[in-house]
Amino acid sequence: MTGSPWSRRLLAAAGVFGLVFLTVPIVIVIPMSFSSARALTFPPPGFSLRWYQAFFGDPRWMEAMATSTIVAVVSSLLALVLGGLAAYGLRRGSFRGRDLAEGNFMAPLIVPTIIVAIALYLGLARIGLLGSWLGLVVAHTVLNVPLVMMVLGVAIREFDLRIEQVAWSLGASWGHTIVKVVLPNLAPSVFAAWIFAFIGSFDEVIVTSFIAGKYETVPKKMFNELILEVNPTITAVATLLIALTVLALAAVSLILARTGRLQKTLV
Amino acid sequence: MRGKGLGFIAPLLVLMVVAFNLPILYMLGLAFWEKGRGFTLEHYRDLADTPVYLRVLGNTMRISLIATLANVAIGYPLAHWMRGLSHRARLVAISLVVLPFWLSILVRTYAWIVVLGNGGLVNSALQALGLTDGPIQFLYNEVGVTIGMANVLLPFLVLPLFAAMIRIDDRLLQAAASLGAPPRTIFWKVYFPLTLPALAAGALLVFILCLGFYVTPAILGGGRVPMISNLLDTLINQIPRWEQASAISTILLIVTLLIFAAYRRLDRKASA
Repeated sequence: MTGSPWSRRLLAAAGVFGLVFLTVPIVIVIPMSFSSARALTFPPPGFSLRWYQAFFGDPRWMEAMATSTIVAVVSSLLALVLGGLAAYGLRRGSFRGRDLAEGNFMAPLIVPTIIVAIALYLGLARIGLLGSWLGLVVAHTVLNVPLVMMVLGVAIREFDLRIEQVAWSLGASWGHTIVKVVLPNLAPSVFAAWIFAFIGSFDEVIVTSFIAGKYETVPKKMFNELILEVNPTITAVATLLIALTVLALAAVSLILARTGRLQKTLV
Repeated sequence: MRGKGLGFIAPLLVLMVVAFNLPILYMLGLAFWEKGRGFTLEHYRDLADTPVYLRVLGNTMRISLIATLANVAIGYPLAHWMRGLSHRARLVAISLVVLPFWLSILVRTYAWIVVLGNGGLVNSALQALGLTDGPIQFLYNEVGVTIGMANVLLPFLVLPLFAAMIRIDDRLLQAAASLGAPPRTIFWKVYFPLTLPALAAGALLVFILCLGFYVTPAILGGGRVPMISNLLDTLINQIPRWEQASAISTILLIVTLLIFAAYRRLDRKASA
């Protein structure tokens, strides 16, 4: 299906347009963050680091950074442990309602986040935990579980059950088998799942805006500032978030490429 | 062994029931129950009687539909083009689609303010080319919101569509060619029908995600393009009307789940 040179050129133009449409906003933000001007003109009139100084010199941004990091670390680890155990139980177990349980665990991915936000707002308000640290961490954990289960579900399905059976037949308990046999073999996928959950939490904005109360995370502060006025400090924050995402994805691809699971996890 | 593996899912099950299922049930309760009166549809009558709610609903549907169509128009040629690339170029293209997928929606939405603003890239280019005298207003209207949403959701369409396209056996297309079919016929009679289930599934997924969009209309619409989610925000955070917010959320939830069921059927067909 090669077609005429004309139609091929047209297709290439459409494809390149699609890629440019996807990436141009990201590519533009980076030079803008080094702009010397307050107005968002492109190209920037001069080079400066003032917006990075504004970000790192602002104690409120630094506090938001700390809150984001702590919430992301705790909730991603919780999601990893609970989601990982559940993924293992779903793949290796057989019990009634298994599909239902799996559907329920994956649901936060499909149910519009705004609905999760409202339901949690109403529920947490009801039990008096609105604006609490516990509520925030638990909400982030719920949202991150599907990401963990997607990555680990594939990995566990592909791991040869007979290797575990050998361990059991040699007298190892389930717990011992998981720690000594399954985990070391799945380490790359576990790491990838943790990274995805960490990014998922670090970038979360909707639920956090609704339930975090006095806690400011980086995305929540960013969102609130964007609604009020366009402040160029945001370009610096955006560039830092781009760098974080690129680094995380690079780490994941390097690790997964070695195990050959890259394509399956990403596409 | 009956019940094998239940112990592994129990901790997560408890967490999900407490922090996901129960809150949603409570929300449904608020939508359908009145203290002391029991089941009621009164909150829905209120919705039907309030023109502004219906207008926001119509707005949301229209913007979601346009953003989905824009996604198909941009995403299908992109995925098709990627299929024909060399191995190496394909890897680069996939990375360029996957990176935005994982990047904060705030960053991607914010970037459009920089690109589409009055002093932004697009307006600078248009004026430099002499196409327009003054800046064109892209932001804080439906145009900006639609562009931003199409951009954020494009990877959701392109990645599964591309995966379906590379599964199509080249020999099928060669067979059609050897029987004398011109390229146009091969595309429309063989290739396109094979990609249709994945395309439809991807478009439905994008549409569902559009319906619940919150961040992009809030930022690029500047409060002038309210969608369902922004209305819900107002009903919760500004004029507390929890019952009505719950009633609207319930409609959104049911519509989403219905479309998702259709998506699942198509997706299974596409991966079969």
